[in-house]
Amino acid sequence: MPKLIIDDITVEVAEGTTLLEAAQSVDIPIPHFCWHPALGRAGACRVCAVKLLDGPVKGIQMSCMLPAQEGMVVSTTDPEAVAMRRHVIEWLMINHPHDCPVCDEGGECQLQDYTIAGGHGIRRYSGKKRTHVNQYLGPYIEHEMNRCIQCYRCVRYYQEYAGGTDFGVMGSAGRVYFGRFQEGQLESPFSGNLVDICPTGVFTDKTARFRARYWDYDMAPSVCPGCSLGCNTTPVARYRELLKTVARRNDAVNGWFICDRGRFANSAVNAPLRPRHAVVDSRESCVEDALDTLLLRIHALGELHGPGSIAVVGSSRMAQEAAELLPQLALRIAAGALCYRTTRKESTETSSFVELVHTGSSASQQDVRKSDCIVVYGCDPLNEAPMMAMAIRQAWRSGATVYVIEHKITLPCEFTLRATLDDVPLAEAERPVIICNLSAETDQLDKLLEGHSRLKIAPLFPAANSFGTALLMREHGAISLEEALADGEIKGIISIEADIPAALLGKIPFVAALDWQATATVQAAQIVIPTTAWVEMNGSYINYEGRAQHFSKVMNPGVPVKGLDPAGHPPHIHRSTATGGEALPARQLLARLIKLLDDGNRGLS
Amino acid sequence: MEQILFQHNKPGRCVTFAEYQTEGGFTALKKALAAMTPDEVQQVVIDSGLRGRGGAGFPTGKKWSFVPRNLPGPRWLICNCDEMEPGTYKDRILLEANPYSLIEGITLACYAIGVRHAFIFIRRGYEQAAANLQRAISEAAAAGLLGENILGSGFDCAIDVHVSAGRYICGEETALMNALEGKRANPRAKPPFPAIKGLWGGPTVVNNVESLANIPYIIANGPAWFKATAATPEAAGMKLFCISGHVTHPACFELPLGMKLGDIIGGPCGGMRPGSSFKACLPGGASTPYFTADHWNIPMDFDPVAKAGSRLGTGGIVVFDHKTCMVAATLNLVRFYARESCGWCTPCREGLPFVVNLLETIESGQGSDEHIEILREHIKYLNYAFCALAPGAMGPVDGLLRHFEDEIREHNRNGKCPCRS
Repeated sequence: MPKLIIDDITVEVAEGTTLLEAAQSVDIPIPHFCWHPALGRAGACRVCAVKLLDGPVKGIQMSCMLPAQEGMVVSTTDPEAVAMRRHVIEWLMINHPHDCPVCDEGGECQLQDYTIAGGHGIRRYSGKKRTHVNQYLGPYIEHEMNRCIQCYRCVRYYQEYAGGTDFGVMGSAGRVYFGRFQEGQLESPFSGNLVDICPTGVFTDKTARFRARYWDYDMAPSVCPGCSLGCNTTPVARYRELLKTVARRNDAVNGWFICDRGRFANSAVNAPLRPRHAVVDSRESCVEDALDTLLLRIHALGELHGPGSIAVVGSSRMAQEAAELLPQLALRIAAGALCYRTTRKESTETSSFVELVHTGSSASQQDVRKSDCIVVYGCDPLNEAPMMAMAIRQAWRSGATVYVIEHKITLPCEFTLRATLDDVPLAEAERPVIICNLSAETDQLDKLLEGHSRLKIAPLFPAANSFGTALLMREHGAISLEEALADGEIKGIISIEADIPAALLGKIPFVAALDWQATATVQAAQIVIPTTAWVEMNGSYINYEGRAQHFSKVMNPGVPVKGLDPAGHPPHIHRSTATGGEALPARQLLARLIKLLDDGNRGLS
Repeated sequence: MEQILFQHNKPGRCVTFAEYQTEGGFTALKKALAAMTPDEVQQVVIDSGLRGRGGAGFPTGKKWSFVPRNLPGPRWLICNCDEMEPGTYKDRILLEANPYSLIEGITLACYAIGVRHAFIFIRRGYEQAAANLQRAISEAAAAGLLGENILGSGFDCAIDVHVSAGRYICGEETALMNALEGKRANPRAKPPFPAIKGLWGGPTVVNNVESLANIPYIIANGPAWFKATAATPEAAGMKLFCISGHVTHPACFELPLGMKLGDIIGGPCGGMRPGSSFKACLPGGASTPYFTADHWNIPMDFDPVAKAGSRLGTGGIVVFDHKTCMVAATLNLVRFYARESCGWCTPCREGLPFVVNLLETIESGQGSDEHIEILREHIKYLNYAFCALAPGAMGPVDGLLRHFEDEIREHNRNGKCPCRS
């Protein structure tokens, strides 16, 4: 544990920590472009210069390259170090355009920040700026090579970290060019991270370009609902439109990155056909009336068919808070069934896996990255949960052996095929992890867990909150909708953010749907009450490993300003809610419904 | 004058394998394999005082001794023949005349370090030299002097010639290793140094052609003999000096290390061209600060040249006469380096074009004295680049400011180059 002094502060850091990180640990920021915690040191940009006044090394040094050593005395404010950093900015600005106001990165640009911070304002170079021809890189990422400061982050990320092969660096000296051999869509399923990792505006999110400035963003820490991994994100919205999603760092979960599927998935939230108003019997209504009508229908159905004729149906995509209220509702209306799953197969599978990993044997993405032996068993991580494939690659890069049990898949790393789980030398591994999906035999995994105390399992569930709802299923004896409908007793369904196949709905006389997506259930329902999407509320999901993660409200619900009649904007009649903004989180609607039922039972209504 | 490397030279052609052998070639290899341990070979090279002839002048034997002794896995020797320093052509002259000394030297070095596979990384333009080396390797292998179980000693050694794709930066040893591995020729961070972790992660020694070609003669004749061939007691051995520019006979000469600059130009070079007088020279290739007439009596050896504010470098002496505009000469050199930057780090990639721009401004008569100050800043801050390319490129600029600041000011004052009529 070397002890050193940085700007008169004594710092003790772990062996191998760079000066830059040591300084960061005591809140001394050192400018940097090429260094990135996930990519490590490069020493290319030279902007992190500090001066070592005493100790084993002296003089101007790059803080990202030099490991902290006992007795070092470091100054980040020494005039010579400051002058070096100022020169680096001056050199970078020789060729960087001076057009921040028309750059999409403006306001969230590292180069802009450091240029202003360093006080570089007068151009001493009298030559022309170098220019490049940009490439078409597909519908998601815009390429503006003139803005490049050659920090090599993109190519280090794309090739080394993500394992992509169709993007790289070409040319030398001042002609260094980052791009593809020829124009075309980037092939990596993790290409969107180029946008996050580029310190200037070379790569920007094409789907959100010139839609908002950083200081106008509505944003909040959130969790990706795309799969059961629960990668941390920061969705960005403006004028009630979800513009883009950027990765949010969480070392235990996704690290610094997210997959393209999670990143470029704004369309569901912005969909013009989203249910925005309550609907009763095909007529637009308000939420209060719709809830009252729903109560009446519940009573009527009970009188007609007797108790137990209604099923309360949730899903594995609903937030945990709403899912927790379903049993309460089911109890109060004497529901015939409480369901969180459609098919019996999925219901039993999720339950047994939750049972399996409930004992603490689940592997986080960080466990996977740190593993030395990974077994991919009967699943396809790159398609089912892309970031899991990224985690496998990181383990492989650090020397882990990756085994795939006879299965036709691709992974962004080398792997060895094995016929069965028994052919994998699990006992020799220090930190083995088995990655599977619900098709795996839990009995077999259970035996392996008993046999190998260090073994961990990462089961890929189908949806964001499969784990959380499975816990409730066990606690409240929920059954699958398939089973509930088998005896034909169910005559009404209250669906809360559930995707029920049309075939199952066909024989049900009464359907009420609470949802924010225009699903088949919503189409078939007599009563529709809009709920909010995850970015429009606070809530939580429990991911595949049993990790509960909170997500915060990013934006208010409502029709995006862009989708309104131009004549109607700016609005001439001012209201407290935006057009189409009556939607409430499912948990609030359920709470209201439960309160109405309780009031009714006490004779208050 | 006694010649070491050039002793086998035949007029107008390359020496043959048979001639090289009859003239005493491969006796050193036979001697070492028969009667010397690898450590003894290494010790003789250390004792000889041989310093690397590629430019940095690091003692060759000491470099070998940094390779860890008992590390498992392969280790490598690379002969650096990516000779791209402007004004330097000694390795080409040597290899076009005689590739056998190098082959024998590499084999001896491999024996001393425990390497079984060496590479010769050769500049793309050196087609004749590469062909000579290929031929020499097959001849040596056919004669049992290379390959498996050399001369029945149980020692195996293979040599491969790798023709570079061709960039100046490939001469930097870590960039060279990246290029050899098939990667972009960007320099690597040091530490770890190549002797610990180099080519494909194994311990690696990178030596210049001339350094390795001297080894057989050191082994054959002993360290004391080698030391004595130099002109001063401090220096050791002979050196290939390649002289170009405004002298009467520009050529590559093998001269004793420590010979005075004036003696070189006045002696084998036949003095300045008729009608020319000496103004300045690059003492050791294009990345070394200028010498002027004041340095006429400096012994051309590593330490004295360094003490005089320049570097012996590769021994490529470029001579400028009194009609040369030193600003224009420097501009020409820095343009080369700006073009040859690998593009990895900011100071080199962006700073050198800035220096080119400043020198252009001054040379065209548009400059002012503030440009001199900016040049001075660049001399200082380009030192903090990733590798030695940018600091080297600033060598002549440094020399320009130290010795010819008046000439720059004259440009600025007159609004035109004083050397142009």
